[in-house]
Amino acid sequence: MSTYLTQVWAILRKDLVLEIRSRERVGAMCAFAVLTGVLFNFSIDTTTVRPNEVATGLIWMTLIFGGLLGVGRTFHLESQDGALQGILMSPAPKDAIFIGKLIANFVLLFVVSLLVLGVFGLFFGIDLGRNLSWVVFVLGIGSLGFVAVGTLFAAVAEGTHLRETLLPVLVFPLMVPMVIYGVGAMMPLLSGRPFTEVEGNVRMLGAFALAAVAAGAVLFRYVVED
Amino acid sequence: MSSGRLVLEAKGLHRNYGSVVAVDDLDLSMSEGEFLTIVGPNGAGKSTLLSMLSGAMRPTTGSVSVCGEQLDFGRQEWRHRIGMLSHQGFLYDRMTVEENLHFYGKLFGVTDLEDRIASRLRRVGLSERARSEVRKLSHGMRQRASLARALLHDPDVVLLDEPYSGLDPAASLVLRDVLEELKDGRRTVVMVTHNLREGLEMATRIAIQVAGRFHWEGSLKGAGWEDFESRYHRVVEGRV
Repeated sequence: MSTYLTQVWAILRKDLVLEIRSRERVGAMCAFAVLTGVLFNFSIDTTTVRPNEVATGLIWMTLIFGGLLGVGRTFHLESQDGALQGILMSPAPKDAIFIGKLIANFVLLFVVSLLVLGVFGLFFGIDLGRNLSWVVFVLGIGSLGFVAVGTLFAAVAEGTHLRETLLPVLVFPLMVPMVIYGVGAMMPLLSGRPFTEVEGNVRMLGAFALAAVAAGAVLFRYVVED
Repeated sequence: MSSGRLVLEAKGLHRNYGSVVAVDDLDLSMSEGEFLTIVGPNGAGKSTLLSMLSGAMRPTTGSVSVCGEQLDFGRQEWRHRIGMLSHQGFLYDRMTVEENLHFYGKLFGVTDLEDRIASRLRRVGLSERARSEVRKLSHGMRQRASLARALLHDPDVVLLDEPYSGLDPAASLVLRDVLEELKDGRRTVVMVTHNLREGLEMATRIAIQVAGRFHWEGSLKGAGWEDFESRYHRVVEGRV
């Protein structure tokens, strides 16, 4: 394995090991997802609306709000005992550090997104069977775009005294394209429409995710270097 | 003993935080094998100087070179040559000592990692606690684990920021033995400390930093630490 990939893997493995041992972030995200699903279940009368259409928007919003709970704390792992400085003083390229943390965050958020899908599928009586693999694929791309933006801005927010308070203000405006194309792709899929109908939206969502990953990898060093 | 090969060089190093000058146009040259202890009052800019020498912080102006290679933030190769022990350990509480070293070893691209970890842990006397989570270690043990981390990649330049901070006498003794081993003639060491006695024990050179500058630089040359202490107070109070 090349040195670069070894460094990415070291960061990724470390983040996942710490999360498995503490379960702080994934626990908070899962609890948020389930409780939000329960609350929406009681607050929306599914006999007066189309459940598929309402649920799609709610799934994405739950994913963004819940994801922020976990991704926003990604640099708390490093703040203990000055560990971020330790990493930054290593020869690991800053983009390798970013990519490692991004993949770790993606794994966590993807797990949560499956839970969100299951919870809303259950409460809103959505038939997930017909397009399940495509729905999961769309959620995966959306999660990737979200964690790319979230990881970069979590680093920005960590350097300020406002931290989690500042993070939504920075991240939410950038989530608009993701919500537009994510909802645009998922709503027809949950209604049983073929993938070909939403291909354009999925491409745009993918382009957003790739652009976010590339921008994050390039900009991360300017955020963390003194 | 110094072999004369220039290892660490800082030219016109300057850093300010807004209107506050932390390090003021400071020059420093160190040869292989030298052990420089920097003492000074709080706010003298000692830790800022060390951060710039380590590449953790960019100077406002000036430059730092290690083994002739100027610290270039676009490239990272020079980071292999620097090891830093700060008052923060850079360790993860929920990982074992061994896992922490393994993690940093991978980041530094250490090849014979398992052997290197075992050897460093033996050197700092932590072999038996290798599988203990860092959060379960005493402060002294954490500091030794941090030292093992700082030395893991066999750096040419070792930077120590208040290594004795918060240690009890027994832990200080262990740390002193380990630091003594750093005087192997191959490494260049810079230590920043408030503790004059411990700082002087190992130094081949001493600098008193006040208001971002070295106001006195030299060596003990057989003089007792009491003599140095009175000199230190004169320098700090501006009487020299």
